[in-house]
Amino acid sequence: MDLTNIQTAELLIDIFAAAILVTAFLIVSSRSLVFYIRLFALQSFFLGVVALLVVLGYGETHILIAAVLTIAIKAIAIPVVLTRVIERIHVQKEIRFSISITASLLLCGGIVILADSVAQSILRSPHADATAVSRVLSVSIAMMLIGLFIMMTRRKALTQIVGLLTMENGVFLSGLSITYGMPLIVEIGIFFDILVAVLILGVFVFRINKTFESISIDSLRSLRH
Amino acid sequence: MSTIIFGLLLGLPVVGTILCAVFHHRKVLEAVTLTSTGLTFLSALWLVSTVMQVTVLSSEEGWWYADGLSAYIIVIVSGSALIVALYSTGYLRRQIRDGNVTTRQLWLYYLLLNVFLFTMMLVLLSNNLGFLWIGSEATTLATAFLVAFYERERSIEAAWKYVIICSVGIALALFGIILTYYSALDVVPSSGSALNWSSLMLVAKDLDPAVLKLAFVFVLVGFGTKAGLAPMHTWKPDAYGEAPAPISALMAAGLVNVALYSLMRFYILVNTAAGGSFASTLFIVFGLVSMGVALPFILIQKDFKRLLAYSSVEHVGIIVFALGIGTPLAYFGALLHLLNNAIAKTLLFLTAGNVRLAYKSKFMLKVTGAIKVMPVSATFLIVGVFAITGWPPFGVFISEFTIMSAAFSEGYAVPAVLFIGIVAAIFVGFIYYTARMVFGEPSRSVKAGEADASTLWLLGVLLAGLLLLGIYIPSPLQQCIQSAVHVLKG
Repeated sequence: MDLTNIQTAELLIDIFAAAILVTAFLIVSSRSLVFYIRLFALQSFFLGVVALLVVLGYGETHILIAAVLTIAIKAIAIPVVLTRVIERIHVQKEIRFSISITASLLLCGGIVILADSVAQSILRSPHADATAVSRVLSVSIAMMLIGLFIMMTRRKALTQIVGLLTMENGVFLSGLSITYGMPLIVEIGIFFDILVAVLILGVFVFRINKTFESISIDSLRSLRH
Repeated sequence: MSTIIFGLLLGLPVVGTILCAVFHHRKVLEAVTLTSTGLTFLSALWLVSTVMQVTVLSSEEGWWYADGLSAYIIVIVSGSALIVALYSTGYLRRQIRDGNVTTRQLWLYYLLLNVFLFTMMLVLLSNNLGFLWIGSEATTLATAFLVAFYERERSIEAAWKYVIICSVGIALALFGIILTYYSALDVVPSSGSALNWSSLMLVAKDLDPAVLKLAFVFVLVGFGTKAGLAPMHTWKPDAYGEAPAPISALMAAGLVNVALYSLMRFYILVNTAAGGSFASTLFIVFGLVSMGVALPFILIQKDFKRLLAYSSVEHVGIIVFALGIGTPLAYFGALLHLLNNAIAKTLLFLTAGNVRLAYKSKFMLKVTGAIKVMPVSATFLIVGVFAITGWPPFGVFISEFTIMSAAFSEGYAVPAVLFIGIVAAIFVGFIYYTARMVFGEPSRSVKAGEADASTLWLLGVLLAGLLLLGIYIPSPLQQCIQSAVHVLKG
């Protein structure tokens, strides 16, 4: 298969973008924290592959480093850190929901439709042909919204982190799809910020665990008004 | 020369950070931080006097940029950083003596204070909107452990909420920045500079208004979260309430203005590109909602620092409301209010720090008879409260009055009446709680005496500043604000 062939690249990008969306849905329907993190790693890996395909198919070489960083940081380093956190704190690995899985999946289906209509309205602008992969924009907006949904309905500290990272993946994909990614130095800065954020949140999970004996954010209720 | 000024403003906090990372001795940490914040403030004054002559200062490669607006805010931010550094020495020495703070915590405090200053300078000096974003997220990360400083359950909870909420907000802002970049890719000649504020402004009229409006909504939610606009303000009372008083002061006087600065940049861009009342209507609505949301929480508050946090929500609302009105007079009022609010918030948070040291509590029910325990700090407290709630002869009165007249003369009669009503009701709540803290009999366990006499002069300087701004505006300041107003007009 010739990856530099535009049609092949387009087809593969579509397939991997769909796979990214599937991982987001699997996260929403998952009950186990370990699974959450593995699915997030898989999602980031697919995201890195999409970025690599943009490099190969469209010759946008400046994304190469961002693609490699996505796989190295989001698909490997962050999942490793989060898995360590889970192992160290012996957390109860079951996730409680405030909305049932069926209802969650239905709502996320609605989110995808909404995201697609937002994406279409953005792409209606005069320079819609700015990139060849702008079709993926709907997937990226859906990812942001699903990430937000995970944060609002899954009440564990670690699921909040995964929700936030899913949002970030969506934002990265949106940049890839409509602008072929931000300038490299900006992307590197963003990766650095995300990595530091995860490390800091990881430290807080330890401390919350130490003081509350559980890492459900439902126990974070002393600050009101 | 531009290289030297940018180098100093960005480099001094970095040098301060490195020195703090290496040396752990208390006196060295204090000296380094005082020097780095002091020299940064002097460089900011140099920047502002240069910008007054050349209008725009930008580095050769186009990464860094400063004009009247950024220079004005840089002076406010670095000035409050210096005052906070001066206050921190006495505050932390006392806390170490009381055994509340370990030497490791002290080291972390000064280290992160320098990092915090650097990240704010990064936002304020970036020409590239991507860098502005990176700096904004970095301000959250730099302050995370400062909010969690006392390592109590409540402070870790507050820091967790703070990082999560602000990171979500800022992720949405990044999408807004990507949309802005998208709208500019075809228009700006080289894609490398399509994220640069200076090149975006040159072609603003050719940018796609529909995409830019959508971008602005995301940016408003994102940086609005950082600024603490309602309904994205929920992290603010927790973070301000739990952070050490001087850190709360720097967040309320520095970080808030950094976030407002980012909002203003996009506001100017959208107004130039799309025209009309789209962005200004959003600002007026968010401004009034923020003021209105703060009101009930101020009336039922038990914790003085949380009370100040809601007051910060209110005043961010006032500034955004004034920006929304959009006339030169309203811009002038907004920028003057930025300064007044920064001074008054610093004064009140630092006074709250003194009260906390003496009473070992920030809960207002436990604090009574402060005027007998600590007459000087208590006087600053009650006078400061009159100042922040908009009484003459203090600066806040002048800026609020300017904003109201601008609102009325633009025909915003209903919003302006709402504005007056909310400000008046908030005053009642504030005075009720403060009077209970200041007057009455102190409980016997509290030892009389000023908590930290060495920093009282700082509070005096701040109060004198508020008084001066209430009586007349010195002409250098006037010129400085005028040049910032000129930038806001687009």
